[in-house]
Amino acid sequence: MYRRAAVIVVVVVVLAAVPIWFESFWLQTGLFAMAAIIAAIGLTILVGIAGQLSLAHAFFVAVGAYGYAYLADKIPPLLAVIAAVLLAGLAGALFSPIAGRVRGIYLGLASLGLVFLGQHILQNATGITGGYRGIAVPPFELFGFEFTGADGMVVLGVPFGPLEKLWYLGLVLVAIALWYGRNLVRSRPGRALATVRDSEVAAATNGIDVVRYKAAAFTVSSMYAGLGGVLMALAFGRIVPESFGFLLSVDFLVMVVIGGAGSVGGAAAGAVFVTALPLILNHYSGSLPLLAEPGSGGVGAAELSRLLYGAAIVAVLLFARDGLAGLVHRKERVV
Amino acid sequence: MRRVGFLAVVLAVAVAACGKGGAEESSSGSAAGESAVKTGPGTTADTITLGYLPDLSGVFAPNGKAMMEGANLYWDAKNAAGGICGRQIKVSVQDTGYDPQKAVAAYQQLSGDVVGLGLVLGSSIVSALLPNVQQEGMFLNFAGWTSDILPNENVAIAGTTYDIEAINAVDFLMQEHGVASGDTVGHLYFEGDYGENALKGSKFAADKHGLKLVEQKITPADQDMTGQVSAFKKAGVKAILFSAAPPQAASLAGLAASQKLDVPIVANGPGWTPQLLTTPAAEALEANYFVVSSMAPLSVQSAGVEEFMTEYKAKYPEGVPSSNGSLYAYAGAQIADAALTKACENKDLTRKGVLDALHSLTALDTGGTVAGPLDFSDPASPPGDLVYIAKVSKDAPGGLEALGEPSQSADVEGYSF
Repeated sequence: MYRRAAVIVVVVVVLAAVPIWFESFWLQTGLFAMAAIIAAIGLTILVGIAGQLSLAHAFFVAVGAYGYAYLADKIPPLLAVIAAVLLAGLAGALFSPIAGRVRGIYLGLASLGLVFLGQHILQNATGITGGYRGIAVPPFELFGFEFTGADGMVVLGVPFGPLEKLWYLGLVLVAIALWYGRNLVRSRPGRALATVRDSEVAAATNGIDVVRYKAAAFTVSSMYAGLGGVLMALAFGRIVPESFGFLLSVDFLVMVVIGGAGSVGGAAAGAVFVTALPLILNHYSGSLPLLAEPGSGGVGAAELSRLLYGAAIVAVLLFARDGLAGLVHRKERVV
Repeated sequence: MRRVGFLAVVLAVAVAACGKGGAEESSSGSAAGESAVKTGPGTTADTITLGYLPDLSGVFAPNGKAMMEGANLYWDAKNAAGGICGRQIKVSVQDTGYDPQKAVAAYQQLSGDVVGLGLVLGSSIVSALLPNVQQEGMFLNFAGWTSDILPNENVAIAGTTYDIEAINAVDFLMQEHGVASGDTVGHLYFEGDYGENALKGSKFAADKHGLKLVEQKITPADQDMTGQVSAFKKAGVKAILFSAAPPQAASLAGLAASQKLDVPIVANGPGWTPQLLTTPAAEALEANYFVVSSMAPLSVQSAGVEEFMTEYKAKYPEGVPSSNGSLYAYAGAQIADAALTKACENKDLTRKGVLDALHSLTALDTGGTVAGPLDFSDPASPPGDLVYIAKVSKDAPGGLEALGEPSQSADVEGYSF
């Protein structure tokens, strides 16, 4: 028990010290990864625990991101975050009756429609979304403390700009998301959802209201997506429709699958893997040998990082059958 | 547990090399009196670094690679000739994959070490980068021609914008192809910045001349123009304006010909690529297709374009040069070169110095790669106002033959961006 606490303290201290040593590229990458972690936890609850295949996750992330960007100008940013998360949850709740009617791959296809609907709205509802030009995301502010570089704050000789400050906000949000996710999975509702996944008939026989639980899973999952979207919007500074397309939905599914479906920690690991790996490969690709200069033909750094990313996913799927979560606790079976 | 420890060690090693260096601002040059030039991020005593953010792995990868050909061509020659301000130009390239998230991360990676951005492809990417670019006061060469981005202190456009091109296109149709007041004209355009910006121009021109405009909006995923051609035929259009991409151009021209809709089609610059001449629609295109663009058709007999073509053929004998790809990046490099040279004369190679120098260029002559002299002094309007009008021709290099000198329609007066 002491050992566990010590590990946690070390991890927290190391993570908190990151902005002191690391360049903005790493902070930016880390923030994108944190946003992905939060959203991926939501999806693993929906897909891994409740067994509802959804390709609509990018849509709910977009609702959170655009909801915050639109509202934060009009109401205090903290309220805007809450409102954006609730808005995403509402969108999920409204979609959930469809999940009551179709299952499996059919539900996946039905939910896919939401992504394209979302893209159409984002492109054309220019009054709210700014259309293809996107909208600027107002900086976060908490009790008068602004998450910008305007106050010229300096900590240990390092100027603290928006990225450094958002890093801590991201850490707090990720910690809350992990804590709530783990509790949800291990508690009564989590076990009920797992039963719904394994057999709806068995669940109903045990007195579980299947329709209600499915709706609840969609709602919670989209609230996670909404919160991830808010953090993503803050990390971007300006959001455009292209960031919330079909590919993002696929990325989230990949995170959940390679992390080990149903594992909260696995989803977090998968999110870091999928979000950060391409960026980091791109970062270091310049220093890899035998690469062609961009524009001279041949395999360049950009192509190579794509290939490595693909190879890494294949390797994880081949050698870590239970996903990244399975690598850490081999014996302990996740829910 | 050992596994976790191993992972931690790997991570620690991976990041050990990257300590956080503060931004170094050295304001004085070396002892030599000549080089008392103020320098900042991205400039040292012997190099100037420019950031390039093309798409090398996403949907526009072919175009991105063509752009890097053009950029390398220019800077290699420049460096061989001694560089700028006695400094060699270093090009720092990061792929964006046409993904705003990747682009923002890539920007964060190179932004500390560059004086400005020599090329950024995609207006959604530019939008995502703008908050940072503005804060750090860099110039940004935007590989796009939309006036939506204006007014903007930091963004440089090569030539004029899609809306002005469309106004010129309407004027061209009225002067040369007998379109008259009261006629119907079709406009096929992409959803998004490019098409909608062009539509703004065509609406303005149609209003002004009493033309009826039939709009057909499509997305890049639409490749079959059957419905659009039928709609145009039903409306009895006398001409078609086209603001989409080459695949749609092939479909539109081919179907129009087979449905006996024999009307001129006038496209914006991005609506053309020389590869269209290898499609079955080549004949229809040669009969009716025109391109209005501020980027020069490759057949233009001007010093800048001829120099580009000679150098290109020498370095890439297998390559296919294009106006929007390699020539654009070449012209963008000319603009960056002019700004840097001017900044050097002002003895201020900081980011702000370069940006100020860019705005002080009032009559930049690119030797014809971009139509007309470019005036960067007003951030609220595009630097150029002339366009090349060209027709498709199998024999011309790049497949386009310019019709006359760069010109400008009088209608542009009174148009507000």
